Amino acid sequence: MWIWQAFTGLLLLVLLALHMIFNHFVVEGGLRTYRDVVAYLSHPLVFAWEIALLIVVTAHALMGVRAILLDLGIRPATDRWLKRGLTLLALGIIGYGMWLSWLIRSRGL
Amino acid sequence: MTTEPRWKRARGWMDLRGRREGGLAFLLMRLTGIGLVIYLFLHLYVLRLLAQGPEAWDAFIATAKSPLFLMLDGILILGLLYHAFNGVRVTLLGLGIGVPLQARLFWGVMVLTLLLTGVAVYAIFALTG
Amino acid sequence: MPTWQLRLLRGRPGNPPRLQTYRVELPAEAYLIDAVEKIWAEQDRDLLFRHACHHASCGACGVRVNGRERLMCITPLREFAPDRPIVVEPLRHFPWLGDLLVDVSPMMRRMMAVGFAVIRRDELTADRPLPEGVEKATRFEDCIECGLCLSACPVMAADEAYLGPATLAAIERMLAEPRGADRGRLLALADDPHGVWRCHSAMECTAVCPSNVDPAAAIGRLRRYLLAEKLRRWLGGG
Repeated sequence: MWIWQAFTGLLLLVLLALHMIFNHFVVEGGLRTYRDVVAYLSHPLVFAWEIALLIVVTAHALMGVRAILLDLGIRPATDRWLKRGLTLLALGIIGYGMWLSWLIRSRGL
Repeated sequence: MTTEPRWKRARGWMDLRGRREGGLAFLLMRLTGIGLVIYLFLHLYVLRLLAQGPEAWDAFIATAKSPLFLMLDGILILGLLYHAFNGVRVTLLGLGIGVPLQARLFWGVMVLTLLLTGVAVYAIFALTG
Repeated sequence: MPTWQLRLLRGRPGNPPRLQTYRVELPAEAYLIDAVEKIWAEQDRDLLFRHACHHASCGACGVRVNGRERLMCITPLREFAPDRPIVVEPLRHFPWLGDLLVDVSPMMRRMMAVGFAVIRRDELTADRPLPEGVEKATRFEDCIECGLCLSACPVMAADEAYLGPATLAAIERMLAEPRGADRGRLLALADDPHGVWRCHSAMECTAVCPSNVDPAAAIGRLRRYLLAEKLRRWLGGG
């Protein structure tokens, strides 16, 4: 619903801002090499932050997609399927992200 | 008119004739939103290169510093900042806060977006040399 | 007397409409409705358009003038230059009946479904003493059901189920001053994905309203009210 879109959006202001700072203003050259990424993800707080960002941005993005489709006047039955589909997609994306982050993190530990 | 299919009628979102700041703000919000969703998928897809190891990832990072890539990053930042700032504006307006100021808030969003995009683009080129 | 150039949308459903140019001589103090009426009376009796009170209280003469939603009766000709054509088209987001005429019954049905009252408490003279024998001061509701807001709203373009700014503002008014309305029913009507939550704050409704309804602000108030209710129920239960 709209309020969750607004809420996740406001959260993203903070989550994304720090994500950008951590990733681009800490290493020389502004982009992390493989070794930089592994070292980065080894910090538990960083790891948690990136996972939180992933969950919130996925929610915000997919809710946005649903909003566009609702604006196109999809029927309530279609909306029910859409919600299920987007939820599965969200779980897939978050699962993929968590798996990938854990994999990279474990290479450094 | 109302006999056209829905997706065609959605072109009404883009009909800025007779519309002012608010309508433009909405259109840009929708376009940047769609762009950002596409970017999100691209970004998450590219990250899989990390799983393939240092050679794959570092090769990608090298291309990420090319001028074309950096220019695209600039466009991304422009879209992201607009979406973020107008998002704050729309959240306030949507709760009935600041409605009489809505047009001025839009111009504020545009100024802030362009200003910070300039700063970001400068930072990108300063950091990557 | 200046001669004005009007380009009116002409056509009937089923045929592609086109803009037809007319010239009409009227003083600059006249209004667009006078120009369209004169064109109908003297040049083209086939022209379809709607008009009634000629003073912005019936809401009948809504059209788009150079793309922008206006009431013809309060659009003065002196706003325009005689050498530039004035483009007049029907309102968006309503079934088109031909020329400048649209079918406003979808809006009327929704306003009736809300049970929108016509008389309201008069807050404008609340601080003045009432004349002897007068119990209370009342006035008409601001909304004249002209449909300009529905035409200007981008969400109305593709979502037929969207209640729209006029309906939502009417619900807000009936909640603020119930006059016997069933508040639960109205809240349920508004609290729908295609109710108050479909609005994207494009603000065009308030920008075109000729009658100070400010639907955008009303929708915002309605949302605050609904959210407060949800929070109360979540915290207090029942």
